[in-house]
Amino acid sequence: MKRWVRVGLLVLFVAALLLIPGLAQVPKDVLIIGMSHEPIIDFEPARVYEFEGGFVLEQTYDQLVNFVGGKEAFERIEPGLAESWEVSADGLTWTFHLRKNAKFHSGKPVDAEAVVFSLRRSLALNQPPIWILSQFVPKPEMIQKIDDYTVTITTNQPLGEMLMAAVLGYQGITSIVDPAVVEAHATPEDPYASKWLAEHDAGSGPFILKEWVRRDRIVLEAFPDYWRGAPALKQIIIKDIPEPTAQKLALEKGDIDVAWNLLPEMIADLKGKAGIKVIETPSWYFHYAAMNLGYEPFSNVKVRQAVRWAIDYDAITEGIMAGAAVKCHTIVPVGMFAHLDLLYHQDLEKARQLMKEAGYENGFQVELLTRTDPPYPDIAAQIKEDLKKINIEVKVTAVVYAELLKSYRAQQHQMVLVRWGADYADPSAQAAPFAHCDTAGPEAKVKQLAWRNKYCPSGVTAWVEQAAGERDPRKREILYKAIQGVVLEEGPYIILHSPLIQVATREDVKGLQVPPMWYYTELFAVTK
Amino acid sequence: MISYILKRLAWMVFVLFGVMTVVFFISRVIPADPVAAMLGGQAPPELIEQVRAKWNLDKPLYDQYLIYLWRLLQGDLGVSISTGKPVAEDLLQFFPATFELATAATILSIFFGIILGIISAVRSGRVMDHLSRLSALLGISMPVFWLGLLMLLLFYYLLGWLPGAGQLPYYMSRPPRVTGLITIDSLIAGRFDAFQSALKHLVMPAVVLSFFGIAAVSRITRSSMLDVLREEYINTARAKGLREANVVLKHALKNAMLPVSTISGITYGRLLEGSVITETIFAWPGLGRYATNAFLALDFPAVVGSTMLIALLYALTNLVVDISYAYLNPKIRYG
Repeated sequence: MKRWVRVGLLVLFVAALLLIPGLAQVPKDVLIIGMSHEPIIDFEPARVYEFEGGFVLEQTYDQLVNFVGGKEAFERIEPGLAESWEVSADGLTWTFHLRKNAKFHSGKPVDAEAVVFSLRRSLALNQPPIWILSQFVPKPEMIQKIDDYTVTITTNQPLGEMLMAAVLGYQGITSIVDPAVVEAHATPEDPYASKWLAEHDAGSGPFILKEWVRRDRIVLEAFPDYWRGAPALKQIIIKDIPEPTAQKLALEKGDIDVAWNLLPEMIADLKGKAGIKVIETPSWYFHYAAMNLGYEPFSNVKVRQAVRWAIDYDAITEGIMAGAAVKCHTIVPVGMFAHLDLLYHQDLEKARQLMKEAGYENGFQVELLTRTDPPYPDIAAQIKEDLKKINIEVKVTAVVYAELLKSYRAQQHQMVLVRWGADYADPSAQAAPFAHCDTAGPEAKVKQLAWRNKYCPSGVTAWVEQAAGERDPRKREILYKAIQGVVLEEGPYIILHSPLIQVATREDVKGLQVPPMWYYTELFAVTK
Repeated sequence: MISYILKRLAWMVFVLFGVMTVVFFISRVIPADPVAAMLGGQAPPELIEQVRAKWNLDKPLYDQYLIYLWRLLQGDLGVSISTGKPVAEDLLQFFPATFELATAATILSIFFGIILGIISAVRSGRVMDHLSRLSALLGISMPVFWLGLLMLLLFYYLLGWLPGAGQLPYYMSRPPRVTGLITIDSLIAGRFDAFQSALKHLVMPAVVLSFFGIAAVSRITRSSMLDVLREEYINTARAKGLREANVVLKHALKNAMLPVSTISGITYGRLLEGSVITETIFAWPGLGRYATNAFLALDFPAVVGSTMLIALLYALTNLVVDISYAYLNPKIRYG
């Protein structure tokens, strides 16, 4: 009998433990964000390429120039660690004058030495995102210290100011790191202290990376000596909640202040609910289909046009995407510099006429390769249905993304349906991959989307190169609009829409603005 | 007994070697490119070649295998492509959370499974029996995804009795990592608040995971008990005038435990490999999510490493079950 008493007591003890309420009152100056941590690898600035990692670096590091705000963030270049800058007459050398009041988290001043060290460090580490910088600044000696607070950066071709800012304001590889901290943690095998920086920060941003438990939580703490002033929040906790439903419940319950990965139908449900706010910004990535000109029927420009006129864009954007997307049919997304606002619509009459003129009145068969995750299979089904109306028989093959990429990169597809996101905040980030192709052979200079689809518009390729170097913004804009116009008319792409970035917050969260590349979201000015 | 265990452990090495070889080749004949998966659709081709060379993916398959084997013999499981960290370190990071959850779920499974099983055996054919059989059926057939979300909605959102997803309240700091088991680490750090919260957070995912186990254990307990209760010695015990509770719990139960220990071992082994769905819903930083992500990212080193760990855990739980036979039934001897 005694044993049963003991077991009973144990059960009572556990029950009591579970029933005593916890005492976790979250203070007003602590912001809790629910976000999936799945894509995060680490926080080495020279390596970070994934959005979630970039979002954390945005809070812990600074660059020479900055972008601030919501939808319009990338329309204006703000000073960052550089107070001002000018460019030489030949357009090749940029001189940056650093502000004197910026400090690293260690308390040391941010000076020319640190800027030169950081950019050269990124070049030396040579990680995946480095091409964004090295396409224009390939060599370490192109970055020079002039005096303690002046730096020059020479580029291999003249750049428009916007393009310079987009590259130098890019997050990881252009973040300025504290050389003293790097040196303190360097080892003979790891001279740049990559291992240490993967889990800590050496920045000068408004927040300090305090704690990182993988797939669990990231804790950022305010840096009181930040050059723009101390941030309003004392602490930010970015909690890994991978399941959107769990995020939504936690937001409604008030356990988190911001939910970052809700599905469109959840956002629709939350709109208008008391105590909740929804922030929506059109993103700079889009879903698009592409036709390989190496596949006989698609080599005819009229067939490509017919396909574009045959698609029911409304059904895809309003139906499948449930309105959580904005229509965009040109290669420069809505809200980016020089975006050309031209849209297709479904016109089956015209499409059939074009097919007839091309000699494909009786249609043909084509394989459409796409991803297995939503919304790709649904969009593919819509395209299949639409193209059937102009006698094109589409066979949809859904495969995992890595498998699709293998065929796509080898120019082996007939038609694909995938996505593309702008790498940095300038139309050159779109024009080069979508419209630069000097030859469809293996010796091509840029082997990106135009090349993969064997679309080699010789005149346009020259414009793409010219536009990147054009320093007059007005002329640049005209060039990019011309490129978009030609690609829209004769190119291999059916660009569908840009999904909305949808973030839900508690009502008392103020000052949160989400730019079109959401990982540039600043938490510096957020209050609660 | 000792020599038996040693023999079994030696066999385990061969099993692991076989698992490693099979998984290694299967994961590499998939017609997809892990480097493409890692770098995404926008990486320039030169970069892809460079990264491929870094991971030895440009070498012939047998060379890759020999390199992997050579490193494995030195205790090196390789570096994960998707996390950039040594696989062994990753497994150590993510396994404790799964271990904690699986252990809690197995305790619940065995405890409630045996109780339900005994009740339905003793009351065989009556209402309680039918009820427990019905709940077992439900437990086996209910989708974990649905059950998890439903419980979250009910006990967290609507009733507020239990906390939501995660291992601790979001604002609460974690105790310093010693064992990786958050309940134990809380006690080591003397953090009673964290211990209490960790237990509360453990309840829902453990209950969700235990549904299947309770169903399995109770069914096996019931049939095994029914067999034993028909034995002669049970009649003898009853004839001696022993109380029914004594007959059932002392004389019958231990003899009925043999198949129950088998199913418990299988349940535990199954739970230790981690459940990606439960871990995702309850934001549990465990092995299930790690291994699944590794598979989806075609992260070969992590796939082979986590499969080997899972195989090892299965082999170990099986060994423990076999040893427990000798304790439960003295007629069984290992030599």
